[in-house]
Amino acid sequence: MALKGGRLPVVDERALPYSHPLYDTLLQTPGLSVATAAVDLVLEWGLRNSLWIFPMATSCCGIELMAAAASRVDLDRMGTIVRATPRQGDVMVVAGTITVKMAPRVLALWEQMPEPKWCIAMGSCAISGDFYRNLYPVVPGIDTVLPVDVYLPGCPPNPEVLMHGLLRLQEKVRAARSGQPVPRDPNPGLIDLTKPANGRVGDPSRAADLGAQQVAAALVASSLDRSDEPAPGAEPVVEAPDEPAEPAFEGVAPEFEALLRDTFGVTDFPKDRAPAVDPARHVELARSLKRMGWRQLVYVVATHYAEKTGAKASPERFEVAYALRSVGAGSKVAAWRLELAPGQQPPSLVGLFAGADWQEREQFDLVGVGFAGHPDLRRIMMPDAWDGHPLRRDYPADKECAPWR
Amino acid sequence: MQSARRGGIDPHLSITHYDPEADLMLLHFGPQHPSTHGVFRMDLHLDGEVVIKATPYLGYLHRGVEKLCEKLTYVQQTPVVDKNDYVSPMTNEQALNMAFEKLMGIEVPRRARWLRLLLAEMQRISSHLLWLGTFTLDLGGALGGGSTVFLHCFREREMVLDLFEDITGARFHYNTHTIGGNRHDLPAGFAAKARAALDGIEARIGEYEDLSVHHAIFVARTRGVGVLDGDLALELGITGPVLRASGVDHDLRRDAPFHAYDEVPVKVSVERGGDCLARAKVRFAELRESIRLCRAALDGMPEGPICGFKPIRQPTQSKATSGQVYVGIETPRGELGTFLVANPDAPTTPYRLKIRAPSLHALSALPYILPGATVSDAVAILGSLDPIMGEVDR
Amino acid sequence: MNALVHGALYGVVIVLCLLTTVAFGVWFERKFAGRMQSRLGPTRVGPYGLLQSFADIIKLLQKEDIIPADADGSLFTLAPVLAALCALGAAAVVPFSPTVIASDLDIGVVWVLAVGGLMVIPTFAAGWSSNNKFALLGGMRAVAQSVSYGVPLVLAVLVPVILSGTMRISGIVAWQTSHHWVAVWPVIPGLPAFGLYMLAMLAESNRIPFDIPEAESELVAGVTTEYTGAKFSLFYLSEYVHTLVGSAVASALFLGGWDGPFAPGLHWMALKTLTLFALVYWVRWSLLRFRSDQLMDLCWRRLTPLGVALVLASAAWVQFAPGAH
Repeated sequence: MALKGGRLPVVDERALPYSHPLYDTLLQTPGLSVATAAVDLVLEWGLRNSLWIFPMATSCCGIELMAAAASRVDLDRMGTIVRATPRQGDVMVVAGTITVKMAPRVLALWEQMPEPKWCIAMGSCAISGDFYRNLYPVVPGIDTVLPVDVYLPGCPPNPEVLMHGLLRLQEKVRAARSGQPVPRDPNPGLIDLTKPANGRVGDPSRAADLGAQQVAAALVASSLDRSDEPAPGAEPVVEAPDEPAEPAFEGVAPEFEALLRDTFGVTDFPKDRAPAVDPARHVELARSLKRMGWRQLVYVVATHYAEKTGAKASPERFEVAYALRSVGAGSKVAAWRLELAPGQQPPSLVGLFAGADWQEREQFDLVGVGFAGHPDLRRIMMPDAWDGHPLRRDYPADKECAPWR
Repeated sequence: MQSARRGGIDPHLSITHYDPEADLMLLHFGPQHPSTHGVFRMDLHLDGEVVIKATPYLGYLHRGVEKLCEKLTYVQQTPVVDKNDYVSPMTNEQALNMAFEKLMGIEVPRRARWLRLLLAEMQRISSHLLWLGTFTLDLGGALGGGSTVFLHCFREREMVLDLFEDITGARFHYNTHTIGGNRHDLPAGFAAKARAALDGIEARIGEYEDLSVHHAIFVARTRGVGVLDGDLALELGITGPVLRASGVDHDLRRDAPFHAYDEVPVKVSVERGGDCLARAKVRFAELRESIRLCRAALDGMPEGPICGFKPIRQPTQSKATSGQVYVGIETPRGELGTFLVANPDAPTTPYRLKIRAPSLHALSALPYILPGATVSDAVAILGSLDPIMGEVDR
Repeated sequence: MNALVHGALYGVVIVLCLLTTVAFGVWFERKFAGRMQSRLGPTRVGPYGLLQSFADIIKLLQKEDIIPADADGSLFTLAPVLAALCALGAAAVVPFSPTVIASDLDIGVVWVLAVGGLMVIPTFAAGWSSNNKFALLGGMRAVAQSVSYGVPLVLAVLVPVILSGTMRISGIVAWQTSHHWVAVWPVIPGLPAFGLYMLAMLAESNRIPFDIPEAESELVAGVTTEYTGAKFSLFYLSEYVHTLVGSAVASALFLGGWDGPFAPGLHWMALKTLTLFALVYWVRWSLLRFRSDQLMDLCWRRLTPLGVALVLASAAWVQFAPGAH
């Protein structure tokens, strides 16, 4: 077989165990097929019963993957153990959301696994991207990256479902040897409603001794049930307000207000948002606050206001909100914000608060506000070569902008 | 140019400063590694096994949650934030919905506040159990004593998850909080079952301590490892058990009470060591305290409605036209906050939503505390910070 | 010629027995660990999951054999073979009964220590040739650990050698039999020497709490990070054989070997060896792991002085105690 471009293809067919010349010769020798059939059975039995997992666990499903290896489900019962290196895994379980930054690494790890190998997409994120599907950083399903053998729906799938998926994979391995199609799942619903997995209390529709008919009736009843609405009790039940309530803001601590008024000449204290401070003096403000006991950095948030036309026309602008917290009893937040024109760079707080380093990098990455004097202003969430700042209001939220596919 | 140099360590100093002859080994630790607790990458410059400089890289799980929240209506966002800190979804929902309630000026009934306290503390138990399991796994390996503690912790964690399943019907991502209260009330017979589970967990905490903080090898691996100074921790915005282990007595449950913490006083545990052992001890103390708080919540649970008004059936029903709020609550990992700007043009969706993730701040300590540690220590330090990449990267 | 045939015959039988024992030993370990962790362990492959190890082996032999592009191919291939050879080779001089012994060398103790100590070479070769940083770190750790723990290992083994005055392992067993080892060991420095041997043996065979060359939570899979299929199974096998032979040597040197009432010697030897083997796994699934510098500290500042003291004490015993010989 010629090598493509001098490099090994992803699946090196010569390395597959079943195309060994000796094996092929044996297979073609008359009279030996009976013997090879027996060997075949043993080989297939070994493959099927020793599916070691290489966990590609990125998020929530990874926790359920661990729970599947734990006492209640115990994957070791069927000989499945978890190996940390791709070289010794048979099944890559992709458990969790795969992002554009992670996808090339997943593919690299997949290519490092030895044949024969399989892939299980665990959870809706790995299957389709779930509700992140249309968003800029998420790959819509791991099957756009590598071939998937078994899909396990759920968010996340229960540990039992992973066990079920491995059993289905065993059937697939067996079918691959015999050339038969994989048999249909005898119990696609998987959950037997008449026998709850654990004894739930208090809900008659979940009692263990109910017949199927009764369960169906109970399910209908519970779908019509309004008991989750509050009973007319001691406190009056109110409808959700149709009109929005008074704008809320936690208020400004008196000593903080005094500082702003006296030293920084702030006179405007709006009711619905933090007071605006002159960007040129805000490092000084932070220093004073730190001296007064607001020692903990809480957040740095930049907001982008896109240009508006029409009746309420306003130019494009940015706001950066900061907050510090006082430590100990009666902890209070001191919040302020800076109003910025496009391209204007507020001074960085890194010299005062080391935690501002990553916070400012995140806002630079996602909103595109620069911070003057920051020692290392690089992207932090997105890949370095990413184009645009995703959390700007004019950045499209839908998949057309996603570079994947 | 401002400097992030603290305690003699400048994370932005080029590696050529330490290593002009370029004979250090660069070890890419992650993003796929058994001990990075998800997809997190550190570039470690090693002299032998000693870390000279550590550079963390984030974003391998950046899913654009904040952008998604700008698209969705207020009511639709609860299940989205469940997936951020996927080890304690309950507190995620609470932080989000409390911000919405504050923005819209909605009162939460007393029973709902008690219910939220109960759920938060149960979640803290399950989260700390998972932390203990994964931390010992880091110290002891998947093929060793670490996995024994790990599996025992998961056994007890399942007991808490069963209780959550009884309440919400879901094992993992609950979607039980809503604006103005909760969706699911406690089922009949819940208190007895919960008490039994709490007794079972409490009886075994001593066992875990024997296997971890009272165990000579555990102490040898964690004492004096990854010492974080209290002042630096505050500057970095670190909160929760990591901050309290550095000797700062700060817990939002006591210092800025939310839910019903003003009615149920919290005993805050503080350690002075600032090392991995201190972090473990703080979390053990919190485990015990959470069990006590759960019992208190079960005892004192008031009667009444669990939602301030009829459950919202239409997603467009909650509206806010102006305002900017921030709500921070104490989760198992520290102060989880929601910063929210209302959208005057589309009142049913937020204009800007930012989630302040405690794990992100905890990880930012790594460049300061890793230099001087060995590769084995690096694993222990990372585990002791208890990062959850879902909320770090969002 | 006769000795050669005898050695070859017994050698093959012993190797086959060892391999079978290891296969079931792995199964036993998984069941045992399962019970410790309140789960079941293998149940589905064969009765009680007994055939699990065989399924694993058959699977591993079918996997693609990958040699990384930048690896040192020949060394990479040689390392696992050497590891298995060293592990099995040490079994040659272990007396399983007065007659079941492949080669009753009169320097049997030296042979065991030398061949067992050679294990470090394939381990480091694997770490070096993989051209993987995790594997390299694992290999370096293995060298440091193996060289260090060789010292207390030798010192511990010297105690029965000095007491019995022979280096032939069957001779040491015979000395124990004739000197009522059950009664005598606690008095003379045999018991602490046994403890020291077991600790050093754990370290030599890279078992928790000394498994830092593998340390999968730190180094992914240590020296075996790049190994697939058959080669990985050789490493896997050699680890278990090393532990098993180490346990057998311990029961021969310190626990009276085949000596015991009511049953044939072979049974007693098997019982003692398997008990120690199980003990190793009991320790493994209970303890956490040391850091490499703590490991060195323990070796050079605690175990080595203890070993020297034990050797001096046993020499004094031989010199001054009446009727020691």
